Amino acid sequence: MTDFPILSAIIATPLIGAVVVVLLPGRRPEVIKAVGYGFSVATLGLACWLLADFSTKKVFFQFVESRPWLPSIGSRYIVGVDGISLFMILATALLIPIGLLASQRYPAQRPKAFTAWFLLLEFSLMGIFLSLDLIIFFLFWEILLVPMYFLIQGWGHERRQYAATKFFIYTAAGSSLMLACTLILGFIHQSDTGVLSFDYRVLAAWSWHGLSGTTEVLLFLGFLAAFAIKVPLVPFHTWLADVHTEAPTAGSVVLAGVILKMGAYGLLRFSFELFPHASVDLAPLLLTLGVIGILYGAIVAAMQKNLKRIIAYSSIAHMGFVIVGIFSLTVIGLDGAVFTMISHPLTTGALFLLVGMLYERRHSYQLEDYGGIWRSAPILTAMFLAAMFAGIGLPGFSGFIGEFLSLAGTFVSRRPWAVAGAVGVILAAVYMLWAFQRTFMGKPSGINLKLPDVSLREVMVVAPLLALSLFLGLYPKLAIERIEPSLKRSIVNLELKTHFREKRPKGYAPTKLPGGVSDTQSIQLGRGAP
Amino acid sequence: MTPPIVHPSINWLAISPEIALVAAGVAIVMLRSVLRRRPIVVPLCTVVAISGVVAAGAVQYRLWHLLRGHRAMTTIAGMVRVDPFGVFLGVVVLAATVMALLLSVAYLRREGLEAPEYFALVLLSAAGMLVMTTANDLIVVFLALEVLSIPLYVLAAFDRRRLSSQEAGMKYFVLGAFSSAVFLYGVALTYGATGTTSLTGIARFLAANTLLDQGTLLAGIALLLVGLGFKIAAVPFHMWTPDVYQGAPTPVTSFMSAATKAAGFAALLRIFGVAFPLYRSDWRPAVWALAVLSLIVGSVAAVIQTDVKRILAYSSIGHAGFILIGFQANTSRGREAALLYLFVYAFMTIGAFAVITVATRRGDDHHSLDDYRGLALDRPVVGGLLIFFVLAQAGVPFTGGFVAKLEVFSAAAQANEYGLLIIGVLASVVAAFFYLRIALTLLSARDDGATAPGGLRRRVDVWSAVVLVTCVTLVIVVGVVPGTFVHWARDATFLL
Amino acid sequence: MNARDLLGLAGIIPLLPLVGAALLMAFGRRLGSPRAGWLATGLMAVAFAWSVVEFAALLSLPPGARSHVSIIFTWLPADQLHVNVGFLADPLSITWCLLVTGVGMLIHLYAIGYMRGDPNVGRFFAYFNLFAASMLILVLASNYLLTFLGWEGVGLCSYLLISFWFERSTAALGGKKAFIYNRVGDFGFMLAMFLLIAQFGTLDYGATGHAALHASGGITTAVALLLFLGCVGKSAQIPLFPWLTDAMEGPTPVSALIHAATMVTAGVFLICRAHPFFDASHSAMTVVGWIGAATALLAGTMAVLQPDLKRVLAYSTISQLGYMFLALGTGAYTAAVFFVLMHAFYKACLFLGAGSVLHANGENQDMRVMGALRRFMPFTAGAMVVAWLAIAGVPPFAGFWSKDGVLEAAYLHHDYGIWAVGVVATIMTGLYMTRLILLTFFGTEHWRPSDTAAMAAVTGGSDDEPDGHADIEAELGYDPDYLPTVVYGEPPRTPRLHDHEPHESPGLIVLPIVTLALLAIVGGLVNIPLHGFTHLDSWLEPVFRGVTPPVAETFAGAAALSATALGFGVVGIIVAFVFYRRGLPSPADDPLRARLGVVGNVVGHGYYYDDAISKAVDGPVRAFGTFLDRDVDQRVIDGAVNGIGHLVRRAAEGLRRAQDGLVRRYAIGIALGAAALLLFFLAYAGR
Repeated sequence: MTDFPILSAIIATPLIGAVVVVLLPGRRPEVIKAVGYGFSVATLGLACWLLADFSTKKVFFQFVESRPWLPSIGSRYIVGVDGISLFMILATALLIPIGLLASQRYPAQRPKAFTAWFLLLEFSLMGIFLSLDLIIFFLFWEILLVPMYFLIQGWGHERRQYAATKFFIYTAAGSSLMLACTLILGFIHQSDTGVLSFDYRVLAAWSWHGLSGTTEVLLFLGFLAAFAIKVPLVPFHTWLADVHTEAPTAGSVVLAGVILKMGAYGLLRFSFELFPHASVDLAPLLLTLGVIGILYGAIVAAMQKNLKRIIAYSSIAHMGFVIVGIFSLTVIGLDGAVFTMISHPLTTGALFLLVGMLYERRHSYQLEDYGGIWRSAPILTAMFLAAMFAGIGLPGFSGFIGEFLSLAGTFVSRRPWAVAGAVGVILAAVYMLWAFQRTFMGKPSGINLKLPDVSLREVMVVAPLLALSLFLGLYPKLAIERIEPSLKRSIVNLELKTHFREKRPKGYAPTKLPGGVSDTQSIQLGRGAP
Repeated sequence: MTPPIVHPSINWLAISPEIALVAAGVAIVMLRSVLRRRPIVVPLCTVVAISGVVAAGAVQYRLWHLLRGHRAMTTIAGMVRVDPFGVFLGVVVLAATVMALLLSVAYLRREGLEAPEYFALVLLSAAGMLVMTTANDLIVVFLALEVLSIPLYVLAAFDRRRLSSQEAGMKYFVLGAFSSAVFLYGVALTYGATGTTSLTGIARFLAANTLLDQGTLLAGIALLLVGLGFKIAAVPFHMWTPDVYQGAPTPVTSFMSAATKAAGFAALLRIFGVAFPLYRSDWRPAVWALAVLSLIVGSVAAVIQTDVKRILAYSSIGHAGFILIGFQANTSRGREAALLYLFVYAFMTIGAFAVITVATRRGDDHHSLDDYRGLALDRPVVGGLLIFFVLAQAGVPFTGGFVAKLEVFSAAAQANEYGLLIIGVLASVVAAFFYLRIALTLLSARDDGATAPGGLRRRVDVWSAVVLVTCVTLVIVVGVVPGTFVHWARDATFLL
Repeated sequence: MNARDLLGLAGIIPLLPLVGAALLMAFGRRLGSPRAGWLATGLMAVAFAWSVVEFAALLSLPPGARSHVSIIFTWLPADQLHVNVGFLADPLSITWCLLVTGVGMLIHLYAIGYMRGDPNVGRFFAYFNLFAASMLILVLASNYLLTFLGWEGVGLCSYLLISFWFERSTAALGGKKAFIYNRVGDFGFMLAMFLLIAQFGTLDYGATGHAALHASGGITTAVALLLFLGCVGKSAQIPLFPWLTDAMEGPTPVSALIHAATMVTAGVFLICRAHPFFDASHSAMTVVGWIGAATALLAGTMAVLQPDLKRVLAYSTISQLGYMFLALGTGAYTAAVFFVLMHAFYKACLFLGAGSVLHANGENQDMRVMGALRRFMPFTAGAMVVAWLAIAGVPPFAGFWSKDGVLEAAYLHHDYGIWAVGVVATIMTGLYMTRLILLTFFGTEHWRPSDTAAMAAVTGGSDDEPDGHADIEAELGYDPDYLPTVVYGEPPRTPRLHDHEPHESPGLIVLPIVTLALLAIVGGLVNIPLHGFTHLDSWLEPVFRGVTPPVAETFAGAAALSATALGFGVVGIIVAFVFYRRGLPSPADDPLRARLGVVGNVVGHGYYYDDAISKAVDGPVRAFGTFLDRDVDQRVIDGAVNGIGHLVRRAAEGLRRAQDGLVRRYAIGIALGAAALLLFFLAYAGR
């Protein structure tokens, strides 16, 4: 089945699902939910198939498809997958059905629209992670705002309109600059080579010698504007807490789980390959921002009185680890970064789901409304404990592997940053344990005395995430051996294109691609160009 | 001994679209005078009008296939030049016309304004627009300008019982006359500088000779820009737009916003592309300024507006800015982008106004956001359509709006107009805010559980439905598979 | 199968309790008390048996070959860093395995009786087994990262078990405090691992051990000190000790197993494991030694005036751990290990005894309202007296030999300063332990409600409880309103014994206590510093090859040293007898405290160290956080974001004002625009 366009199928399935759901008669909500759920599960199946077929040997993109889309500006529909995007696909395909399942009962109103928007969300996410043409990438990147906007606006809490608009405008502002820089990049390429193309691989092969230093930096900053807001990097983070607080549970899960990864993914995918010199030169800056994110996010999280805000700021801290790992510019650090991107959806997803379950019972996110929940809801508490410790990087859970590798890689290349970042490991315990104690320990009173414990469905929603987090924490090899070739490619790519040399632990041989860099590969890496 | 008057040869095919429209218009007037107040008269006129437009469209189709591949037919002593460019925009104008007419049918009945003259006026104005798209001589442009404007003045004030409608007509008339005068003065100055009013003639003259004193010509160019800038509602010549759009009967507004812009840009692109290419270094900065101003005003001013029609008026100003980006690039890509934008814009804006036409209740003067609150909840389809159209205008991917914006932006990028490009993208973000504001209102429940506007009239008449479906389909199709349309637009960029 | 194959199966030791934990988490609630307890205890017993098998297997090998790594699978293959899940069976790890499983088994057994009737007993034993598993992984790991896994695992269990009675606010806080203090230590541990990766590219004990031999001094010192930071956290040394006293909020078996016998000795284990780095860095050793000595002395002083039975033991544990680090700092690894073992015996015995006393006194921990309990609980009293003599270093009890070994090593290592501090600290040991024993089991009775009825007013948790407490207690197995911990300076508690008198605990509780007491008597035999009796030294010799602590030239010299240490210890005992031979005159006044005056307050409050920290956290730290949240985040950053929005709005208002509906105004607009264009074209353009 090599000719089967599996990637297009992965993108299309949710879209078809959304259309079908819209066309269904609205009288039978359970049918609508079932159908939507079915389509999301089908997508998950396809994603798992992709995982199975994915070759750990190949360094470059697999399952590539390419069709013309908008010839006038040389934009083609090009999709492909590599180690970096593979697990983003899986995370998305996993979180969407879980989000749908979590929203079975609540929010209750307008299930049809909710399911449709949710599937559209999956559609756009898949497109983002799979497209290799900058215009198509932007297309999906931008369309994502719409379902997210309507999900927050339609099913959010009190200040949802403010939050939804803030989310849309803030992130659109960032991505608009990315669009401008994409076009500029493409047309500089055209005037330089005569070819008008937005194929990311073509541009990557040219940009490193085709752009002047300042242009490269400016264009990089343009892309960074979009990515930094999505990650989010401090100080571009304030939309996150508002959106999380107002968004419905499923929205928060996907937002924290996958949407935040879009920024990091963009940096991984584009900054190194399109703007190698700029990435190397600005690495210290971004590293610093990452560390600031870790510490700042943790401290501010410790000050919040609202469960969702706490987790939101903790996400900022976690994404800080990702950024630090990426711009440590070491294979180990990059491993850690991507692994955190895989692990964070599991842990934070579980946390948001559990907080959502608390909300469904207590209709509040405020810490002061809780206390002693452990007595009335021991299973929920147990799951929260697991998710919490997975989140604060307890060895054995996936979170630890990510943080450890990111910091280790950073320590190899830039010690002070790693030391500062490691402080975040302490702080994480502070705010999470504080929140846990305030919520679940102490003496329950009033309604907290008799909150119902989780139902089987709710267990089924959270358990898979925790199980996966545990599994990946004990057997990270599964992910790392698929990620690493692509990351080594990024490093080798930098070393080929710039004066940068990776800092390696003592006694390690320099990074090589599996089987060395053959000519074709080196052309793809941009060496072939003059 | 005066030389004999030479009768210019006339290529009837070339001008038959205009003829079709005028004929239909005249026919309507005559029918009216013959049939008086028979109930049959209005439907009959409607049929006549629409068939007239359809006929014109058929001819345009024929012409398109004749001229495609860089051919053109000049006729009436070079006064009129029919080329793919003209035909393309002509089609846009005709499409806008027919949709406006279809919308009017139910509207006029509801508002009790049924009068055949209405259709005649629309047709005449449309005829003027067609002339404008093919005018190859400043004088002809001016004539076309008047022919298209005067009926519009009347149409704007057509709902004579409504004060705002009269006011709209009045304002449009006064300012329109003012701007026409300015335009005419520009024509005069240009003639004075070059000794001809023929666009090709001007071009030839300027190519052949260098002017010792460019002042006259440049002043002329400036005034031409003013005159046409008024028609396309570019800042700072835009101030009439909100009032007129708000006051005029909604179908008329839709007609104005789509067709007039197309015609105006047709003249603008043709005059500056054909006659003054050598002076681009002079007029491009000016257009740059107009574009930037239009973008900023169009996106910022609408932020606090509370009347939907006003908001859409400002958005049309903003769209003028985006189209000007393509014009300013002064490249074939730029023209292509502008043409595609005009095409898509016609359907986006008419679609939006169509929803407003069918969604509002009798009187056509309840368009504040509050009147529309909860529309998407009470009438999901109608409300959803309006949301779709505003999002398309905001340039959301997978809609024609996105492709159009993408094209103009890429034109700016290719022309190294990075400043304009950045301003453009940021303006589109600011604009997104008020488009979202509309969507938000449609989706948020009314605090007083009352039903949304038009709660009385639940069902949408078939003609409006046709218009809506057409618009939605085209906007989506252009957004998803833009290839073909872009290709047409490219073929249409052929001017000289 | 031969010995090596057996050693390859060392992984079974942690596996058994791990399975137990899993089972209990799944079915613990259904099993309920006491079956859950028996399951856990049984698995511990099997684990102990298996440890003995491994021990025998090791013994059967020649000393040089007593080390075997069995790799289960590759855990973390990142770049060229390959971290395995592998178990290293060697004398050191197996020693700890025997300790953890052996003492652990006894305490499990004890817990069956102690936790009887607690509805959450399943959860309790799940944590208990999980703890044992983590601790065993910690000691058996073949690389730092896997040790860290166990290291964090025990931290987790410690957190869960301290907060086991989560409805008690103090318990909740205690657990959190413990975990966070440990995290500070882990920070050091992690940095140490990063440094190892950067410098040696591996985390294996073997490889790093070899590499350490020819690494630069700076590196080794850095690694050693960073690791030591981890140990300081885990083993509650200065400056990270305050959590251990609050850890006493947990059920007493927890305090005995985790916060006395095993977990807190993980730091000692880690330094033994990483000894090549410490051997290579004299400065690091000095730091370790002095920190240990200082902790031994200061924690001893803090213990002296504590009114709370368990808190005295907690401070005592800190101080004893100080002795262990003192030993490590002077390179006397075996002495330290020996001390760990002995301390496990008598301290576990003391804690379990204390638990028994609490059990008999209705969860009352205030020694001031005990007294003369020996007549009611003879076994407990007897066992604790034995343990007291042991910890006070009275020959021939276990503690004498271990402490003697430590101090002697310090002296012979020429660390006279450290030695002196250690010796002085023995006074404290004798003092506070004797005080504890006298107040609890001897002197006059203060536990009868009559003679303290006066105090009912001032104290929490009085007898006349509001309605509903009974059924809550039935539901939870404890009274959430009663906070047992008594801090220094608090007025004496009201006895919680109602009509009945204190009673000896059931056999299930007494048996482990007595067993441990016996061990505390004879335990010393494993390493008596006489030729031919130093079993432990020779057993551990292969681990610490190349590190030979100096031995006393003459027997007389050794005897002299022992005598000095013993003498100082006895001084402490005598002082205690002088003040407390009749117990307390009345619960309110403590003669020694009265005598010490201000000094008493200072040491009683633990030198106000903990108070200072909490003040700092509540004050400046919180203020800074609030500043970041309120001012920086909400005002400045978010303010800027929304500010842009307001700006646009403002501009829009301006435009609206221009758009006032007057035709003439519009015409002027057009005219101005035209003028501007003309001006532009005529002025700028055309040249």
